[in-house]
Amino acid sequence: MKKLINDPAHYVDEMLDGLCAAHPSLTRDGPAGRVIRRTEGARAGKVGIVTGGGSGHLPLFTGYVGPGLVDACSIGNVFEGPTVDSCIAAIKAADGGRGVLRLYGNYGGDRMNFDMAGEFLEDDGLELSTVLGTDDIASAAPDERNRRRGVAGIVYAYKIAGARADEGASLAEVTAAAAKAVERTRTIGCALSSCQIPGAAEPSFRIAPGEMEMGIGIHGEPGIWRDTLKPADAVVDEMVDRLLAERPEGSGRRVSVLVNSLGATPLEELFILYRRLAARLDKAGLTVVQPLVGPYVTSMEMAGVSLSLCFLDEELERLLAAPASCPFWKVG
Amino acid sequence: MGLTVTHIAAGVSLAHARMTTLEQELNMADSRLGDGDTGGMLRRVLDLMAEQRMDGIDDVGVSLGILAKAAAAATGSSLGTLLATGLLTMSKRTKGRAEVPWSELAPLLEQARDAVMARGGAKLGDKTVVDALDAVSSALAGAGDQAAIRSRAVAACDEALVRFRNEPCRMGRARMYAEKSIGMDDPGMLAFARLTAGICQRDRDVGS
Repeated sequence: MKKLINDPAHYVDEMLDGLCAAHPSLTRDGPAGRVIRRTEGARAGKVGIVTGGGSGHLPLFTGYVGPGLVDACSIGNVFEGPTVDSCIAAIKAADGGRGVLRLYGNYGGDRMNFDMAGEFLEDDGLELSTVLGTDDIASAAPDERNRRRGVAGIVYAYKIAGARADEGASLAEVTAAAAKAVERTRTIGCALSSCQIPGAAEPSFRIAPGEMEMGIGIHGEPGIWRDTLKPADAVVDEMVDRLLAERPEGSGRRVSVLVNSLGATPLEELFILYRRLAARLDKAGLTVVQPLVGPYVTSMEMAGVSLSLCFLDEELERLLAAPASCPFWKVG
Repeated sequence: MGLTVTHIAAGVSLAHARMTTLEQELNMADSRLGDGDTGGMLRRVLDLMAEQRMDGIDDVGVSLGILAKAAAAATGSSLGTLLATGLLTMSKRTKGRAEVPWSELAPLLEQARDAVMARGGAKLGDKTVVDALDAVSSALAGAGDQAAIRSRAVAACDEALVRFRNEPCRMGRARMYAEKSIGMDDPGMLAFARLTAGICQRDRDVGS
């Protein structure tokens, strides 16, 4: 698999250098430069929001650092969690004096290192809370929702928590908003081809020409089934059916949707999918609010798509519409 | 005689050398159950560990602490973090000692196992690196010399791999595909077994 890189060992650092050079609102910080924070620094008196995770998913995670979103991010190597030292530095960078929410995906390495970072920071008197993204319905049964992976739907939690923090809410209130966003978001993905980690001799997995895999994870974790590639409408129909089957209790008629490219799938195909998705949701009596179509959470050059539904209430809809700005997403 | 910094440095060197062939084997094993980067991640960890200078250090705990910090600095992956956790636990238990009797290796590994379980959340039987660690710590109970430790550790790892190969994974991302994981080695357990064999079967030149 061809890649435009210099040396696999420098892949992440050179990417971060370029990201910050192109977007002066972002600054590299922390041990080995593996923290991205807002250049202007944490806003005093605001609850901080910190995230983190492996590289290879841009715009996730580093791309969502900005006003109305997250304040700092610790970055690991490709598909690896950030180190504990980076987590500590990112939490400190996000601290504006009113506590910090740790908001990241439910993966072992991320969890362990953010937990350890919290243990190290306990003595500093910093108030911390945690919300894990667990939106991937393919990764565990509904009665084990807390074991699910966090995938593209976490961008809703970033947006909603970021808006609540900008309103001046307390750490408990920001945490509750993030938790509600996670609780009301459902995602499923499918892949048409694999990706290859820089330096690896082989792709992460293989899908034969003419095949697809439903329910795959953003690191190529195996999905629910693998079969012949289906037409776009049939793919959307199955994904929507699976998502609506998990509609949160008490959810209303308004929903935001994210049609996300996993990296190699072009916008044209995303809009073909969105066309069918919008029709299906309309038929189900749902009104789409603020649709998102594009590469929001990728898996390097993996071809495929994920669909996320965020079932809104009045508070979530207000927070989703609040102004926000980062290199890859601007609202208001 | 017992475990000294010389043994630890030699072990790191042997493990580092083993990665030249182990890296892709582990990547392949991981690609069947995970994201295919276990080998590359461990190579980076061992690259950094091998760079640590142990000259002039004669404290076993200090040397293990240096290795723990190197592992934690090299990666934030779950397996790397668990390795750092285990090493840090052993470091704390051996600080201030220039030599640790071989008979203490089993209880040290038990303490490392418990710390790894507490950090990662895996239980015995979940088919993770914890089961390999448990197998070795159990096998080393009562072993008082290096030769016995070598042979028992390698045999215990091999037995654990065989015993768990046809079990489903119950932890980590592979737990989601428990049926698919039957017949495959857990990459973390495989890494532990291969590195243990690499160290134990080639360290005969290290003074006992």
